Amino acid sequence: MADVRGRGSWPIFSVLTLGAVVLLAASPANAQEGESLYEIGCAGCHGSDGRGASPDRIAFDDPLPDLTECSFASREPDADWIIVAKAGGPIRGFSETMPAFGEAFDDTQLQAVMDHIRTFCQDRAWPRGELNLPRPLSTEKAYPEDEAVWTTGVDAESPGAVVNEFVYEKRFGPRSQIEIRVPFGFAPSSTDEDWGPALGDLGVGLKHAIAHNDRSILSLVTEVKLPTGDVDRGFGADAVRIEPFVALGQILPNDSFLHFQGGFEFSTKPDVVEHEAFWRTAIGRTFTSGEFGRAWSPMLEVLGSVDLEGGSRVSWDLVPQMQITLNTRQHVMLNLGVRFPVTNADQRSTQFLAYILWDWFDGGFFDGW
Amino acid sequence: MGGKRGFAMIGPLLVTSLFTAGLLGVSVTGPSQTDGTVVSGRVVLTAGSVRLVGAPPAAEPVDMSADPYCREQHTSPVMDQSVRVGSTGGIADVLVRVRNAPTDTEPTGADVVLDQTGCLYGPPVVAVRVGQTLTIRNSDATLHNVRVTPEVNRSFNVGQPLRGIESKRTMEEPEIGIPVRCDIHGWMRASIHVLEHSFFDVSADDGSFTLPTLPTGEYEIEAWHPILGAAIQTVTVEAGSPPEIVFEFAAP
Repeated sequence: MADVRGRGSWPIFSVLTLGAVVLLAASPANAQEGESLYEIGCAGCHGSDGRGASPDRIAFDDPLPDLTECSFASREPDADWIIVAKAGGPIRGFSETMPAFGEAFDDTQLQAVMDHIRTFCQDRAWPRGELNLPRPLSTEKAYPEDEAVWTTGVDAESPGAVVNEFVYEKRFGPRSQIEIRVPFGFAPSSTDEDWGPALGDLGVGLKHAIAHNDRSILSLVTEVKLPTGDVDRGFGADAVRIEPFVALGQILPNDSFLHFQGGFEFSTKPDVVEHEAFWRTAIGRTFTSGEFGRAWSPMLEVLGSVDLEGGSRVSWDLVPQMQITLNTRQHVMLNLGVRFPVTNADQRSTQFLAYILWDWFDGGFFDGW
Repeated sequence: MGGKRGFAMIGPLLVTSLFTAGLLGVSVTGPSQTDGTVVSGRVVLTAGSVRLVGAPPAAEPVDMSADPYCREQHTSPVMDQSVRVGSTGGIADVLVRVRNAPTDTEPTGADVVLDQTGCLYGPPVVAVRVGQTLTIRNSDATLHNVRVTPEVNRSFNVGQPLRGIESKRTMEEPEIGIPVRCDIHGWMRASIHVLEHSFFDVSADDGSFTLPTLPTGEYEIEAWHPILGAAIQTVTVEAGSPPEIVFEFAAP
């Protein structure tokens, strides 16, 4: 999970001019101190090169992480690693073999050590973990991820259909991700009103981050939805839909953040499913219980969509919500919210929404509790 | 003896009694009852020892080659400290404690120090009272971590990369034989004992120990070693008769 650190805001439009990664370079004095502190405090176990000390130099069997492995190192925010270095492995559900160095190094020194560790991964194509902002209920993240999400929605008004969606995301390369979506649920039949299970239109998506720096990330995404769903129960559209969109993640000051997603849904049968434009924005802030505790991220999503033909009205929704980290490792999260239709409310129901998110790269679902 | 003559003899008799008590090494505190008819004495329980029966185990030299700094701190081979036996058979590092100790109103006392010097713990066994501060110090110019894994108290693992750094901890529950280790220098092992009273000691290099003064009565005295095991003796403490206890452990 990203720990949002707002060191100053970046105007959103500046993201569009970015074509390369810009590093925040540490001053030479800080760099020397960081390397020196790493040598005396960390190299004994993690090795001077970050690949782990030789087994004959240590007296434990726990596997040591390879700090030079960009796929592993880049996705972890500085704050998470600093917390572990300061308070020890158990603070994030890791092995107690990792000692606590908070009595030896102050926060400035720990950051200097962290800055030195960042030099072990030389490939700047990998976006930093700080950009992995808290996931909203509807708006897509720009950050490529390895996670599984189960979202459930219940209509508050009749007929009260229950809608689920399981999403599996897998990264490949430094900036890309593939995902699979499986909607399913429980709804009445349109013919005889009998309730029953239903499968929705399967979706496959591809995401690629085209630009990122320490504050922003911009991705292009294409999703294809296949007509596999149960039309009778309202879970299918009986048409192939292609959904290209952009996704933006922006770190704001004071641990705040913003997501934006905007694009189109094109249908192969516009007489059945109209072409649509949509845009989604989420703004939120992360709070922490104490110095090391649970993270709480209240968010507000604003969703908009409009059919591109026929002079349809724009549909607006508001989705207040709260994401909470559930376990000590903070790689399993819960989000609860309510989707309120602001316009076209006579055609759409208020929905109670929730998801369970599992960042499976950080460990098994039952690890780190 | 009666009348004035009897009364006149009380003074010399009292002086004689006090002098005799001093010769016997008996410390006598004031009368414990207000009626003055009974004097409760507190007797020093002295001169205990812990001895090994049989040939002591051959101490193995410690391989410090993994850290050149550690190796350079010693001009002669460092021997394993798991079982330390003196030349006369005395066993060091044995916790000797009173299992049925009386109510203890003594303050917990000053900090107890566990130091790391020459990549060895000194002393290898420390005993503290519940709530007493344990100061863990690194006197070496190399990284040590101090990993303490109790079963009852809260565990911790603190990194100490700097010479002179100290970490202070207190234990809130009685517990015997808490392991202490360094995960970088695997030969570094120590034990922490936490007791709820002050009636304990850790045997010295020659196996000797001294317990604080105890009121008269019958007590269970236990000697405990992480490798040699435990032994218990019942001791009767009487005024004017300080017992000497010898615990014997068989060689492993």
